[in-house]
Amino acid sequence: MKLLGGLIAARGVAIAVALLWSTSAWAADQDRLDQIDFPVRTVTVVVPFARGGPTDTVARLIAGEMAKTLGQPIEVENVLGAGGTLAATRVAHATPDGHTLIVGHMGTHGSAAALYPKLGYRPDKDFEPVALLTEMPVLLLARKDFPPKDMTEFEAFVKAHTDNINVAHAGFGSVSYASCLLLDRLLGVDPTAVPFNGTGPALQALVEGQVDYMCDQIVNAVPALRQGTIKAYVIASSERDPAVPQVPTAIEAGLPRFRVAAWTGLFAPRGTPEPIVAKLNAAVSQALDQSDLRLRLTDLGGIIPRADQRLPAGLARLVHNEIARWDDVARGSVP
Amino acid sequence: MDLFSNLALGFQVAASPTNLLLCLIGALVGTLIGVLPGIGTIATVAMLLPITFGLPPVGALIMLAGIYYGAQYGGSTTSILVNIPGEATSVVTTLDGFQMAKQGRAGPALAIAAIGSFAAGCFATVLIALVGQPLTSVALAFGPAEYFSLMVLGLVFAVVLARGSVLKALAMIVLGLLLSTVGSDIETGAARMTFDLPELADGLGFATVAMGVFGFAEIIRNLDFGASADRELVQQKITGLMPTRKDLSDAAPAIARGTVLGSILGILPGGGAVIASFAAYTLEKKIARDPKRFGRGAIEGVAAPESANNAAAQTSFIPLLTLGIPPNAVMALMVGAMTIHNIVPGPQVMKNQPELVWGMIASMWIGNLMLLVINLPLVGVWVRLLRVPYRLMFPAIVIFCCIGIYSVNNAPVDVVLAGAFGLIGYWLVKHAFEPAPLLLGMVLGPLMEDNLRRALLIARGDAMVFLTRPLSAALLAVAVGLLILAVLPMLRRKRDEVFVESEG
Amino acid sequence: MDEAPSGVRERSVFPNWIRGPQDFVGGLALMAVAAFALWAASDLGGMHGFRFGPGTVPRLLAVLLLGLGAVIAAGGVFAEGERLAKFHWRGPLFVGLAILSFAVTIRPLGLVIAAFSSFLIAALGTPETRWGETVLVGIVLTAACCGLFVYGLALPFALWPVALTQ
Repeated sequence: MKLLGGLIAARGVAIAVALLWSTSAWAADQDRLDQIDFPVRTVTVVVPFARGGPTDTVARLIAGEMAKTLGQPIEVENVLGAGGTLAATRVAHATPDGHTLIVGHMGTHGSAAALYPKLGYRPDKDFEPVALLTEMPVLLLARKDFPPKDMTEFEAFVKAHTDNINVAHAGFGSVSYASCLLLDRLLGVDPTAVPFNGTGPALQALVEGQVDYMCDQIVNAVPALRQGTIKAYVIASSERDPAVPQVPTAIEAGLPRFRVAAWTGLFAPRGTPEPIVAKLNAAVSQALDQSDLRLRLTDLGGIIPRADQRLPAGLARLVHNEIARWDDVARGSVP
Repeated sequence: MDLFSNLALGFQVAASPTNLLLCLIGALVGTLIGVLPGIGTIATVAMLLPITFGLPPVGALIMLAGIYYGAQYGGSTTSILVNIPGEATSVVTTLDGFQMAKQGRAGPALAIAAIGSFAAGCFATVLIALVGQPLTSVALAFGPAEYFSLMVLGLVFAVVLARGSVLKALAMIVLGLLLSTVGSDIETGAARMTFDLPELADGLGFATVAMGVFGFAEIIRNLDFGASADRELVQQKITGLMPTRKDLSDAAPAIARGTVLGSILGILPGGGAVIASFAAYTLEKKIARDPKRFGRGAIEGVAAPESANNAAAQTSFIPLLTLGIPPNAVMALMVGAMTIHNIVPGPQVMKNQPELVWGMIASMWIGNLMLLVINLPLVGVWVRLLRVPYRLMFPAIVIFCCIGIYSVNNAPVDVVLAGAFGLIGYWLVKHAFEPAPLLLGMVLGPLMEDNLRRALLIARGDAMVFLTRPLSAALLAVAVGLLILAVLPMLRRKRDEVFVESEG
Repeated sequence: MDEAPSGVRERSVFPNWIRGPQDFVGGLALMAVAAFALWAASDLGGMHGFRFGPGTVPRLLAVLLLGLGAVIAAGGVFAEGERLAKFHWRGPLFVGLAILSFAVTIRPLGLVIAAFSSFLIAALGTPETRWGETVLVGIVLTAACCGLFVYGLALPFALWPVALTQ
């Protein structure tokens, strides 16, 4: 166990060094935040995904930076179940003192409100939004021999052959499920949806040609795309992505309303005092400006929000809009 | 030749003193944590994952491979010593391994498990290097229909390996399948039989049920006899620590067959490795001259599944490395580790970072060697653990199981559920129902249902799809054949008994 | 595996026409589980067109289990079989309580109290427990668990009651 102890001690030294370095930095506003007596002990960040997945990685990277700024260790706790709604339910009822936070996402704080009738929390009312962390663009992917050549042909083809088309998704409530539901509504089609248990198996079925198309986050699809075993029609964001520069945006492809990002944001339970939220927000923002971290996040396919997009109010607006949009999608109308 | 230059590159990377050390530490720590009863393979790897974060990518992955093998072997150790399997693939090991331990032959059982794993590891390493790439096409030939048929075959294995009544084994499988349907429906998200318990929304975890029906139930059952009676018998009887020449010659062919079977099935993502260990056991029982020895401490019953699950663990890297698709929960953790180290698994890695891929393949072999090096001397230590008075050992196992289960999801309800399954398991044993088929049903259930539904969705409801696809039809044919083979002797025996009665 | 104390021939509670009480009771219990599952799954949708509903497979399996249970119970009536095994209360009760206690205390009271108290409760499961040695081993084991899981592996467990650390 000596090795473990050593590693932990090393981590402690690293935190201490970073603290010394960072205290020399900024000015007036920082003084106000410094006077807030927070955090006084370990902060727990609940991540509603399995250890090691892309969201978990993002959370751990950011939490690591935030711990340096805040001067207290941050513990990442992975709580799984029902598309992350279990984790959100737990945090919604936690003590609102800023020491328990959750990495919410498009599912828990957006589509879940429409998809899970017995949700144990209200995504917009039971949380204090802290900051937007990252956005992961969603791609429309298809098996490599799917006939249409571009988005226009795709639309025509899918409309003409709806009955014979199979769409894969990564399970009810997943990003890939919600995104393709949105696409179906926009195109006005209702193909057969084939559920898979997670992104991996769904992608594999696509590679094997058992299903025709699916939607998924960029990070999962890049290996197969580069290898040429699947193809992408469109990226559901406003800008092309450096990881797959050849894929046109939804606007370029003529489907401007197909915009989905698997965003993640940091939330505190409702009633967390404003100064604490502000201090957390500043810590997130500082972490997101750190160049090493930016590099890692970009490598994972994430888009880092600009400084003006990171404010709590922005996240609150995003949650509000997402709930309304996915409610429309789930009820069958075009958002 | 390409293969040898590749392997040479791999060994060059893996055999550097640092990496050797990392592999050794990984295997050691993995074994030490994995050997705690109640802390399964997945929990062990998840717990130890963070210690690799600070290392360079190649070193981290090599260490992780070491941890994985260590954890897996640790799980087999608890299967043999205290009848608590660390993961689905070592459930079968409990059948004969624990019986061997009861007869005072824990040493040979543990040693043969390590030797079998090593032999399997050697073969599988060469296999990956030789035909890893082409083998991927096997995995690609498996669609939902084929998977469904494979799962049916897997369940037939569970019937065949039953010790007692085939009927009761069937009932346990169906009960396991039924339990596996608890949780959210994959297609509609509907909560199935969850009674509004949020912790049940994702179904019953394998760890929860396994620790319950094996771990807790075993403890409660032992307490029935008085803590000392049964156990002291075990402790007095310990004969040799190492397998005899006869053990080795009995086990060798079983190891060979288990290795081949495991290597092939391991390539199939999702359930391949689980089915491998069951299949290897079933095969041994079927071809044995005296099948009655199985379930009563037959050394082949330890050697075959242990070789098979290790070979499968090894070859399950193939779909990961060639397709970038993790075939099981542990591999998914590996992918996570790779992403943290900025590596996107897939064929790209093979091309761009051959030192990483081949280093890892070489380190698998080295990891297996480490296991042998670590565990053969440790066999004595583990066996000596059996000498700890049971009145002290059982509360300790209870605590480890609780911590292990709790650590998976940080959910207290999981611990309560495991306790409930402990009582259920106790009841089952008292009524001569075996828990192993139940667990297999639980593990294979979701794969079976999901693939059935997928296959039918894609075929637009045409059930003939299972027969018109040749691979699927072949698997079903084997399943039916095996089932007939399993049921026939039972019918014949019944007839014989009737005969005897009427004569007498 | 004769668990009944020797010499005392217990009277079976079952009438003579049930020749294998163990299978009879086992079969009936499986039927009860199946019936319960059928009830629990009754609110789930069934087939629509070629699509399976969420309830299709659970109901299918429950019916199958009901059938198997019936066959096993029938076997218990018609075929000579094992008598009912004797149940003991001490082991199941205290091991069950120990597990329950761990589950209830781990979050609010932390690992130290949860592990140590469960250890002691579990030890009540056998009359052979010697308390001096058990308490000592309990303390050592609790300390080892804290060292290993909380310090060594940095798992997110609280060591002490939440009320004390806040």
